Amino acid sequence: MSLIQTQGLTKTYGSGDTAVMALDHVNLNVNAGEFVAIMGPSGCGKSTLLHLIGGLDRPTEGRVIFDGAPIAGMSDDALTELRRRKMGFVFQFYNLIPVLNAAENAALPVTLDGAKPAVARAKAVEWLTRFGLGERLSSRPDQLSGGQQQRVAVARALVAEPALVLADEPTGNLDTHAGDEIASLLRSVSKEYGRTVIMVTHDPRIAAYADRIVFLKDGKIIDDTLLERKKNS
Amino acid sequence: MSVRHAILGLLAQHPRHGYDLRAAFSAVIGGDENWDVKPAQIYTTLNRLEEAGLVQESSVEQDGGPEKRIYAVTEAGRAALQEWFDCGVTPEHQRDEVFVKLMTALVSGAADLGRIIQIQRSLLYQELHAATTLRDGYNPRAEIAQILLLDKSIMHLEADLRWLDITEMRLDEVKRQPLPEPEVKPRGRPKKTVSSEQCSVSSNQ
Repeated sequence: MSLIQTQGLTKTYGSGDTAVMALDHVNLNVNAGEFVAIMGPSGCGKSTLLHLIGGLDRPTEGRVIFDGAPIAGMSDDALTELRRRKMGFVFQFYNLIPVLNAAENAALPVTLDGAKPAVARAKAVEWLTRFGLGERLSSRPDQLSGGQQQRVAVARALVAEPALVLADEPTGNLDTHAGDEIASLLRSVSKEYGRTVIMVTHDPRIAAYADRIVFLKDGKIIDDTLLERKKNS
Repeated sequence: MSVRHAILGLLAQHPRHGYDLRAAFSAVIGGDENWDVKPAQIYTTLNRLEEAGLVQESSVEQDGGPEKRIYAVTEAGRAALQEWFDCGVTPEHQRDEVFVKLMTALVSGAADLGRIIQIQRSLLYQELHAATTLRDGYNPRAEIAQILLLDKSIMHLEADLRWLDITEMRLDEVKRQPLPEPEVKPRGRPKKTVSSEQCSVSSNQ
């Protein structure tokens, strides 16, 4: 069952002679529960694609269909709500609020959505505990390692129970071991918790945790590979 | 090289029966599935180590085959083992098939380089996925040898993938300028010219 579909998705920056086509009529389908990595050389359009899927930017042409409905016609407010409830985001630099502790950071999306503090906190604690941070609920970001901070960020991405998690170079700021842990965590988000995960990465070892890799070059999809080899019947 | 020194190491720990040595070696390398060392190879290596004076039989059971003989390391054997531990291992660089395939395509024009690179890239990612999944299934306390070997495979696969990325970039640059044809050297004796006579005159002085 398709969760995300892009149709002729195009993003052009600038105009006339200096126009740059970051994405060139991209057609992509991602089914519910898939863990997809998007890879490609610098400037291939992978971050642009992720931002358009997440409604963080609007396309020049084409459209994004999320859960059967195009996101194009939505107002900024409606888009913001969609992002808060149906999508979770994980960024390279964690983007945690320094003055809030782990539980407060993780609870933020549902707090902002008007949930009662106790309900928000319960959700945050549930996800933080699943991710091995049950003893660090009151720690502030500066008291946590990079890997732990990113785990808080992944918990935050899930508190609203979204169908989709978007990750933009989630291990870019982490060492080898912490990076593997986050990649493994994102895989469990997909396999154990049934969410769809779309991850932009340039790290081969991290991409290998996905089910499928979509390769971009010069704004186009040049290949789409399933990573599990089919067993010979 | 490594079978020889692993045997020395195991014997340096204490003398062993041939049979015990085979089992101990298997445990060192993490099981027979990873590295298929035939029993014959162990015994051949033991013979060579004996001939080199690095190992000796410490006792023999009557009518015993190599399995039943007890082997012990000599002082020379211990020295050889220590030298192996004290020196780094020079990596071997091989010219691999992917390299040859790309160069063949480049020179002959018989295939699209970008396509070859992407085909190889997809295959390597499938291998990387399989190795990662396998490694993450092992218990670090009980199966450390398997994990170390898989970590190595994973890092090699990553290196191969990064090489493909660099190669793709370089080939994109090369596309913009044609490769020079190799120089064809003239065959036969060089023709006599005025200048060559001058050279031979000057060399007599």
